[in-house]
Amino acid sequence: MAASMRLLVKRVIRLSHRNFNATAAGVSGRSGCCWGTASCRCFSDDRSTHFGFETVPEAEKAKRVYKVFENVAQKYDIMNDAMSLGIHRLWKDSLLHVMNPQPGAQLLDVAGGTGDIAFRFLEYVRSQQERQRRRSARSMQTPSWKDISNNYSTEEEERPQESKAVVCDINKEMLKVGKQKGDSMGISAGLSWVVGDAEELPFDDDQFDIYTIAFGIRNVTHIDQALQEALRVLKPGGRFLCLEFSKVTNPVLARLYDAYSFQMIPVLGEVIAGDWKSYQYLVESIRKFPDQEAFKHMIEDAGFYCVQYYSFTGGVVAIHSGFKL
Amino acid sequence: MAALLRGLRAGRALRGLGSVVATPTATTPQCSSLRRGFHCAALRLQDESKSDKPPSSSSTTYHEHYQAHSTEQDTTAASQEDSASDPAAETASGPNTSYQDQSGEQGEEYETEEQLQARILTAALEFVPQHGWSMEAIAAGAETLGLSSASTGMFYNGAGDLVLHFITHCNSQLTEILAEQHKQVQLGQAEPKETADFLRDAIETRLRMYIPYIETWPQAMSILLLPHNIPDSLKHLSTLVDDIWYYAGDRSTDMNWYTKRAALTGIYNTTELVMVQDSSPDFQDTWNFLDNRIQDVVNMATTAKQVECVVSLKNLTGLNQRR
Repeated sequence: MAASMRLLVKRVIRLSHRNFNATAAGVSGRSGCCWGTASCRCFSDDRSTHFGFETVPEAEKAKRVYKVFENVAQKYDIMNDAMSLGIHRLWKDSLLHVMNPQPGAQLLDVAGGTGDIAFRFLEYVRSQQERQRRRSARSMQTPSWKDISNNYSTEEEERPQESKAVVCDINKEMLKVGKQKGDSMGISAGLSWVVGDAEELPFDDDQFDIYTIAFGIRNVTHIDQALQEALRVLKPGGRFLCLEFSKVTNPVLARLYDAYSFQMIPVLGEVIAGDWKSYQYLVESIRKFPDQEAFKHMIEDAGFYCVQYYSFTGGVVAIHSGFKL
Repeated sequence: MAALLRGLRAGRALRGLGSVVATPTATTPQCSSLRRGFHCAALRLQDESKSDKPPSSSSTTYHEHYQAHSTEQDTTAASQEDSASDPAAETASGPNTSYQDQSGEQGEEYETEEQLQARILTAALEFVPQHGWSMEAIAAGAETLGLSSASTGMFYNGAGDLVLHFITHCNSQLTEILAEQHKQVQLGQAEPKETADFLRDAIETRLRMYIPYIETWPQAMSILLLPHNIPDSLKHLSTLVDDIWYYAGDRSTDMNWYTKRAALTGIYNTTELVMVQDSSPDFQDTWNFLDNRIQDVVNMATTAKQVECVVSLKNLTGLNQRR
């Protein structure tokens, strides 16, 4: 209550100044703000956004999100399995199937944290390459002398580009956990771990074939900036993929889902990870994220084409896909 | 930064107006090409607009669109970018492949997604002998156009899209050739052919288009037989047969329409099957087979006319009556 009063007072003071920066910040605050509820309308420059169901100044949101993930990093994967009853693995597998990467593709996994998507990507591409190699070997069972000599000459130039996956996350703890996981799984070739902010990626333009962000974009303060950055670092023809929690359309399922989210998940968080508040933030931030259609429009606004979404588990998660053409 | 964000709002308003204009025209379920055109105009305005006046964002009706559009043109004229208003006006007329005085990449934005997909698939055809009818061929085709291999995700049907695109292309080529021949006959520059010969030549021309891909054609045929591809492949086959009969001069309106097309479909499919396992020089066996099948059909038609019991059967069952 006191916090909101303070915000009101600040808003009144700043309104009297009326500079351009204020209105600009207000607009950007609106884009990061909750869709629909009027707790922080534009015109003001208090630059506030939502942190779960709380309203916080924008500058603070990034810090608080960082702290949340710092706390949960060690138990992140276990909690994922517990909360989603293991279904999150199926969701991530579906993301890979939708992605269908060709050998040689370069992946950027933003907010990749513990590296689930990157590991799956490398496995998928490697098995595809195996299949291709086996197929070409089968067709070359009885090569003629001409074929053999051709093979010798083309071996240098034909080296196809190896697929690489770059995992980028703003949180060093999550990356540490991911690196440990990668080392223990024995996957280290073609994988790199970079610290970076989704709103300001430390990469050049036109670098990557595929940009994915799985369960990360709702934690970003300025979603449209993250989308702009995605457009920037993608090659022409590159694909943007986002796996995120979304609106459940079925009302019965929605009631069950709400009950499960608000009653069970924070409790699980307290029991397993010892952190009630972080998981309270998690379920609240899911409610604050725009639904499938609204997010699709945001992606189109950023400049992507052929935007489509696929809903899974009745709308609990959705995969949005767009192309940079 | 402020101007950028105001431009964003302007873009959003324009898009809102654009969607009103776009709804009357037919759109694909995934991508509205007219909206793309508007969106590109909005992007350009966002990049280049230096004016402080935002357009009236409240107008959403069709009539007010024109007023808002003219105010938008005023603001762009005021903002020292005269070239922006031209594309903005042009996109109002519909999707086009105009190459403005802007750079080539911005001309690319006016190409619809369907046209880009068609270009990728055409480029992919030359990789088919190497990779077969598959996503790898499409990825290789996209790479020759300078697009990343991830753009193959646009083709939800994958290899099926590639095969259907090729079939459509062949059919339209055949229609052009037949239309050209028809014109020649109309102008009196060529002799009209016998029906049997005409059919034979049409089918041979059409099947010869498969020769560059004959190694992988069995794979393409199997892709066309997949359940989700059957409606499309049947549609293409029926339009092909219909076109051939039309240019052969068939204007029947009775049962003959069906029997003729059914016969030709049978001939075409069986000849295609013979062709994929034919190893004679220049597929001579296939053309001989085709000759024989057409001769069979012709013979059957003449004997059917001669046999009397057929006539009395037709009278009994009422097939001879005019209905």
